[in-house]
Amino acid sequence: MSAAVLSSPRARRVGLRALSLAVFLGAWWLVAELNVWSDLFVPDPTAVLDRLIDGERTHDGIRGLSGYYLHEHLWHSLWRILRGLFWAILVGVPLGLLLATVGPFRVIVEPYVTFVRALPPLAYFSLLIIWFGIEDASKVWLLFLAAFPPITLSVLHGVRGIPRRQVDGALALGASRWQVTRFVVLPSVLPELFTGVRLAIGFAWTTIVAAETVDGIPGIGGLAWETKKFQQTDVAVLCIVLIGLSAIVLDQLVRALEARVVPWRGKT
Amino acid sequence: MASAAEPVLLRGVAHSYAAVQALGPLDLEVAAGELVALVGPSGCGKTTLLGLLAGFLTPTAGEVLVGGARVRAPGPERGVVFQQPNLYPWMSVRENVALGPRLGGARKAARHAIADEQLARVGLADFAAAKPYELSGGMQQRAQIARVLANDPTIMLLDEPFGALDALTRERLQAELHRVWLGSGKTALFITHSVEEAVFLGTRVLVMSPRPGRIVFDERPPFAPEERTAALRADPAFVAFRERVRAAIRE
Repeated sequence: MSAAVLSSPRARRVGLRALSLAVFLGAWWLVAELNVWSDLFVPDPTAVLDRLIDGERTHDGIRGLSGYYLHEHLWHSLWRILRGLFWAILVGVPLGLLLATVGPFRVIVEPYVTFVRALPPLAYFSLLIIWFGIEDASKVWLLFLAAFPPITLSVLHGVRGIPRRQVDGALALGASRWQVTRFVVLPSVLPELFTGVRLAIGFAWTTIVAAETVDGIPGIGGLAWETKKFQQTDVAVLCIVLIGLSAIVLDQLVRALEARVVPWRGKT
Repeated sequence: MASAAEPVLLRGVAHSYAAVQALGPLDLEVAAGELVALVGPSGCGKTTLLGLLAGFLTPTAGEVLVGGARVRAPGPERGVVFQQPNLYPWMSVRENVALGPRLGGARKAARHAIADEQLARVGLADFAAAKPYELSGGMQQRAQIARVLANDPTIMLLDEPFGALDALTRERLQAELHRVWLGSGKTALFITHSVEEAVFLGTRVLVMSPRPGRIVFDERPPFAPEERTAALRADPAFVAFRERVRAAIRE
């Protein structure tokens, strides 16, 4: 290994992360191997790895885990999250714009948005199930409700943060109200919107297990929830790792999109 | 109507923010082609006056007429150059300069031609495709001036456009603005807190008193527009006029 590689900050960062992961996995393996606690509490890393492999195989005529391959579980959850997000953006952005621009509307509606944001999703999940059934609709509703408040509030703050002179500048160039919205307000809200969407994705992932506690198979949250029945701690740990990794990957994708769409962020 | 030709006419104009009288009452007439430099201490109501002319503010008393029409809202015939860089970072420099014509419905080829012409005028032809945040502060202010010129306003309102720049850049941009203004033949109101800048640029220099702002000095420097060169700054007549303006501010 050359000194140049080691001294590059990026290489050093990656190296440090790899090292910390190796230390963590080593400690985990050691604790499991020495049987400090029983397998029920701390599953062996190799057992988790086995479940990962089982998850993609058919054994005894049963596909993967709980009747579906792991990637199917993941995909179903991701699909629910994407639908929840889709509606959250579709409703959350106009709602945020309305809140920011129509005074009386804000006075009336903002407390409700804050109210919904403060609720733990499980609190209203049983209502959603009664209203929308136990299938996907109630889950998507739950994810939508978890995801739209941060989007709405970011858009609201984005609009409020627009410098007065940016609006005045457009008006003095002859812009109509609608043109101000199109050429100034909407683009200047984009950086905040991305922040809101990233927060919303985080909330959606943290809500996915709750959303999939009822009829959640296939679904990675549903799978995690089911492990309590047969005390499959290895599957539970596998689900945790997969949910965490998927959340990181999705967040990175959104960040990459953000860098393309909002290249001016932090430069003005 | 005689006043229709008058680019700017203020009659008994005053403005208050809540209980604080910020400006006036004052009267002002500006003739076509003048570059009126308005100088005064901070907080004297200079920016308020500009806001009233631009239509960002409504006077609490009196009336503001531009081109014979009463000002009720901002409009493209009154171009504003702001103190802070005010270009939109989601547009290229060219798109920024072309925004006025675009808002007015100009097609892409036409508005880009207008933008490129104005960018060349302020020496930014090579930066048309750049993003505003890739330009220096002085270049951003030149682009703002080009953006206003691209809209072909009857009057340009400049609110301390060089206030945030270093002294050297500032002198260079003053000379450049003067050249651009001379070539455009436009009426302009230039607000500044620099006496030197006001005397160098103005065909007419106004001094505003502390709040509530009133005009306490109104004279034309005795130099033709063509004489405004770097050498003028050391000219005894320039220095003498500058000191008279200073004295008017101190009073």
